[in-house]
Amino acid sequence: MSTTDYLPPDEMSLDAAGDVLGGYLDVNERGETQLDRTFYDTFDGLLYSAGLSVVHERGRLALVDRVAGVERASAPMSPPTAPLLAMSLERCALRDELLPIVDVRALLPLVHVHSHIRAIDVLDGERKIVVRLTLEQPTVVASSATHVPLRPRVRLAAVRGYDEELDAVRDALQGELGWKAADQPLVDEAVRAAGGIPGGIPSKIDVPLSPDQRADAAAATVLGRLLEVIEANVEGTIADIDSEFLHDFRVSVRRSRSVQRELKGVFPVEELARMRIEFRWLQQITGDSRDLDVYVLEFEAMREIVPASMRTDLDPLLTVLRNRRLIARGEMVRALRSERAAAVRRDWAVLLDQLVQLPTDDRPAATTPIGELAGERIRKVYSRMVKMGSAIDGSSPPEDYHELRKKGKELRYLLELFGAPLYPGEVVKPMIKALKALQDVLGRHQDREVQVAMLRSLRDEVSALPGGPAALMAMGVLVDRLLVDEQAARDEFAARFAVFASKSERQTVRDTFA
Amino acid sequence: MSSVLATYNIKGGVGKTSAAVNLAYLAAREGAPTLLWDLDPQGASTYLFRVRPKIRGGGRKLLRLRSSPDRLIKGTDHPGLDLLPADFSYRHMDLALDSFKHPTRRLARVLAPLRGEYEYIFLDCPPSISLVSESVFEAADALLVPIIPATLSSRTFEQLNEIAEGGAGGLQILAFFSMIEVRKSLHREVMAQLRKAHAVTMLGAAIPSADEVERMGVMRDVVASFAPGSRAALAYQALWWDVRRRLRQRTPPVTTLPSPT
Repeated sequence: MSTTDYLPPDEMSLDAAGDVLGGYLDVNERGETQLDRTFYDTFDGLLYSAGLSVVHERGRLALVDRVAGVERASAPMSPPTAPLLAMSLERCALRDELLPIVDVRALLPLVHVHSHIRAIDVLDGERKIVVRLTLEQPTVVASSATHVPLRPRVRLAAVRGYDEELDAVRDALQGELGWKAADQPLVDEAVRAAGGIPGGIPSKIDVPLSPDQRADAAAATVLGRLLEVIEANVEGTIADIDSEFLHDFRVSVRRSRSVQRELKGVFPVEELARMRIEFRWLQQITGDSRDLDVYVLEFEAMREIVPASMRTDLDPLLTVLRNRRLIARGEMVRALRSERAAAVRRDWAVLLDQLVQLPTDDRPAATTPIGELAGERIRKVYSRMVKMGSAIDGSSPPEDYHELRKKGKELRYLLELFGAPLYPGEVVKPMIKALKALQDVLGRHQDREVQVAMLRSLRDEVSALPGGPAALMAMGVLVDRLLVDEQAARDEFAARFAVFASKSERQTVRDTFA
Repeated sequence: MSSVLATYNIKGGVGKTSAAVNLAYLAAREGAPTLLWDLDPQGASTYLFRVRPKIRGGGRKLLRLRSSPDRLIKGTDHPGLDLLPADFSYRHMDLALDSFKHPTRRLARVLAPLRGEYEYIFLDCPPSISLVSESVFEAADALLVPIIPATLSSRTFEQLNEIAEGGAGGLQILAFFSMIEVRKSLHREVMAQLRKAHAVTMLGAAIPSADEVERMGVMRDVVASFAPGSRAALAYQALWWDVRRRLRQRTPPVTTLPSPT
């Protein structure tokens, strides 16, 4: 989408800009107004990544194109005062457009902008409006006492069927008047002025590495970025803004643990041993809370599994899960606020910061080129998985599938964090794809196993509630259906594993990560 | 689902264009994406919206579906209201339509791709009975018929009945009094008589003969925009409410099961 915002030369005020335009074009002043806007995005900038923004202005919440400001959908409402979940909106076009983009992530206010607006219409020979101009003097309202003025800008809005006239106005602005196309959308300029980062804090780790880099330096860079994500998500996890804060926190902890294990030779032995204990603790204190988040989030999908006549019978189960979730959250929040949790992050940051300067006596892999070390680990973990998977048949216990899945996560993190930046995309991408397909089946198998165990463990608690007996019947049906699906996942395993561990794939891994 | 509304009368000078532009404006002002197609080669609606009365390739190309109507549409000065302008070539539209296998279905085919984009499509029709008007009857969901109260007005109803009977059956006919002068006893008598005789067709709202309506040509704008508090503007507002109410009633009633005897 082409730019529609232009910036006047530095010294030109908004009033002067309007007057100059009047000298060059046949215009009609529509008047001046004040406008207050609040821009929103998710914590990880999902709207930013999609080239969009959500803005509240004039009593409406609208999803707009970030650059051109063109509205995709909107709904009348007061400015949201709490984090807004798209799924909590009433059914409307705005909800339909937003939900596929933000899913379970909450919209949070990014920045408030107060603007003085001067509206000017450009007319043709018939005095018909052919282009609409909005001259704007925006100010970021950081707090009641802090106002940061931004650069004045003019926005061009096309009138349908008058493209040539729009081009003529563009030419006049850029040519004769010396205005420049805006280098960034208003929302980004405002976010930066307020001290924020446009695009938020994505949990995706995209660290450039070079194969010759020392392994300890590469590990420190990747783990440093993972620690940033962990730190960034602590507050949102504690405040329970949305379920993804905890999820991203846990994924980053798990990825860090994986790197600690796989590249253990780059760390000093004693410190690493302590850190591995501490990171395992971080994983443990957040585990129940995350499991219960998922149960509650996916409850409606689980309800769909039982016959329609039994679906409302499951309500007592939901009550129990919600109660348990609250208890688990309380325990997790206490642990996350503890000195121990703060110390882990602090000490880990110090260790990563100093890692390359530390003696290498007990760090045999410290100076090994990362390309070599990562390649060796990828090859070994892949081979291990091939061996473990080949030993699995229909009669294998669930633990075998689970162990293979855990190893699969290890390989996936190695591939994503080190394989992708260091090795050819044409090998790594299909490998991740085949691995994901395998992990999906293993994940489904494990989820069903855990869900069945969870349902069985909650029987007494559910039966004590009003409607308990009917709920137990429905839970029984649910267990049956989950076990059927677990078996189906087992049946699908062989085909997925065959792709992952095919002869050609094994050869590619040997050739690439030699 | 969009509604296609055509302002139609066999006679000229009865207030078709004034009704079309004002009602289209009011529909758009309520937030409904609205298009007005000025089918009259004289281009009065087009003139009122200050748009050039010309479409690239002329009417024949448009009817042949060679030019997409989408590209010929012009945004008016009023948000949400677009115009498919008149073109002088529309004076030969009868001949152009006659060259097609199913001439009366042609306008509906031209409009088909636009029905998803607009909630209301108004057709401002030229005064005549011709292949163009037959094509309009086929394309429209409702005909809005302005009637000046006069002794011969009942003749109009006979013609409207013929149209309704000759059509595909889905065409709703909504007539309203136009250019009324309440001081004239003849107007009052005729209105009372026709309302009684044609209660289903006749709308309650009526448009007065007013200076503001005549001033539209000078202002090149709709009454509801430049004189929103005027008698005429309020009458158009009442007419629009009445039209929408009747359009909603058109939804087929729910069939009820016969009660046991």
